[in-house]
Amino acid sequence: MPLTQQQPSATAIFYRNLRWLRFVDRFGRKGQQTVEYLGGLIQLIGQTLASCFSRPFYSTEVLHQMDELGVKSVSITGITALFTGMVLALQTAYSLEAFGGKIFIGRVVSLSLVRELGPVLTALMVGGRVGSGITAEIGSMTVTEQVDALRAMAISPIRRLVVPRVLATVLMMPVLTAIADVLGILGGLGIAVLELQMTAQDYITSIWQQLQISDIGSGLSKTIFFGLEIAAIGCYNGLQVEGGAASVGRATTRTVVLASISILVSDFFLTKLFLAL
Amino acid sequence: MSTAVAAADRTPVASPRGETIVEFENVWKRYSGRDVLTGVNLTIRRGEVLCILGPSGTGKSVALRHINGLTQPDDGDVRVFGSSVVGLTEEELSPVRRRVAMLFQGGALFDSMNVEQNIAFPVREHGERPPEEIAAIVAEKLTMVGLPGVQRKMPAELSGGMRKRVALARSIALEPDIILYDEPTTGLDPLTSEKIAQLIVDLNVRLQTTSVVVTHDIVTARTVATRLAFLHQGRFQFVGTFDEAARGGHPVLMEYFRSMGFPCGTGVFQVPKGV
Repeated sequence: MPLTQQQPSATAIFYRNLRWLRFVDRFGRKGQQTVEYLGGLIQLIGQTLASCFSRPFYSTEVLHQMDELGVKSVSITGITALFTGMVLALQTAYSLEAFGGKIFIGRVVSLSLVRELGPVLTALMVGGRVGSGITAEIGSMTVTEQVDALRAMAISPIRRLVVPRVLATVLMMPVLTAIADVLGILGGLGIAVLELQMTAQDYITSIWQQLQISDIGSGLSKTIFFGLEIAAIGCYNGLQVEGGAASVGRATTRTVVLASISILVSDFFLTKLFLAL
Repeated sequence: MSTAVAAADRTPVASPRGETIVEFENVWKRYSGRDVLTGVNLTIRRGEVLCILGPSGTGKSVALRHINGLTQPDDGDVRVFGSSVVGLTEEELSPVRRRVAMLFQGGALFDSMNVEQNIAFPVREHGERPPEEIAAIVAEKLTMVGLPGVQRKMPAELSGGMRKRVALARSIALEPDIILYDEPTTGLDPLTSEKIAQLIVDLNVRLQTTSVVVTHDIVTARTVATRLAFLHQGRFQFVGTFDEAARGGHPVLMEYFRSMGFPCGTGVFQVPKGV
């Protein structure tokens, strides 16, 4: 009778799979942290929305934040859109010239900008500038115990700090995007007239024939969600800071990364939603 | 004007049998896998200055933050003005927090506001008052902490000691029943520390409040404390007057006294004047 091969012991199996077990463990922990983070973020958004509809209101603070976060972002989002419109006009002319498609430049530039690039690029720029600024400010307040000082004075940090920033960002995002759309289209017009020897009339007619109110509506509606994501992530990361200056720096980086990812991911789903409507 | 009253000269306002205003009952708190408070019991009486003493990192500030609900215990109960503050929401804690002020270690002044706006902030938040009345309150509180006329300065323009005083003025703006001091003299030179300590004593008498002072500094404790509570290994190992502690308290407390240059345990305790 042939000898049966000896079965490996449980310990041997354990050690053989230790690397995998460690991997699973690390993966599980990351998953747990992600779920906890998302849970905390959603809870903050819920509390913020609930606080928006009950007293006390900090309307002066909302106006101050609209200026700080919105008005002061006009230049950065405007320049981004202007040059994007110019590049779009050049690239479209390069691709469509062979087919005699130069007359479509106005359509392509305006549609791309109004439906997609205007909202997303504005949100990414605002996410970088405003989101990081919010985290740095609230994070510094957290480490210097100013947030605890508010709580100790029976003042809700959510009402005083989070609500004005979220409201200001949500209200200013469509405005910034509308300005960006206009500047982008004007950038395209400039290139069409100066570089591509088109008339302004042709460019504008081409836009007029194509662009619908629904295109503008879907583009601007998306930015309300982007604004909410940017401000909520910024505030949440700021309030979660523990330790000193280094943690504030890390939290600020995390805000820019997470805000950008969430803008791009949610843009896909929002686009699908608006196309289905 | 100097209304500061030295510890030795003042008439004690707290009767040893004063009414209990804060009570810790078997409070446990765990932070990042370490037990910081392990079944803490303590009663604080109305009108006294209770000094929580202990080396850095023993959980003194953690204990203090339980009183106004900034930190919630894992187990046990904390009663303030006779009712529990454990398990309450931020909204439910509001009535207690309006009566309990806190002075934070770094002052925690709002950097975006000037001194006047900082002190007026809690007053404006809790009730409608005419601007002249608010300005008068600010001026009065600043005079009380010995800093009249700095209303227009920004926190960044103030020295460490001045920042603590302004923060103290902000704490007393709503005329609280209890003031919590978290390391009020840390990071200050000995002379300023002593002034702040005397201010704490002075305000306790003038405003008829109860004060809880967290410190690792024995000199401050000697100036301010009606009673000492020594926190070590997660519990209050000694609660009593400074003199009782110096005559012979817990061995670790004795060691702590000696390491700070205070001769003690000899039966006759004399602190050289001017320390």
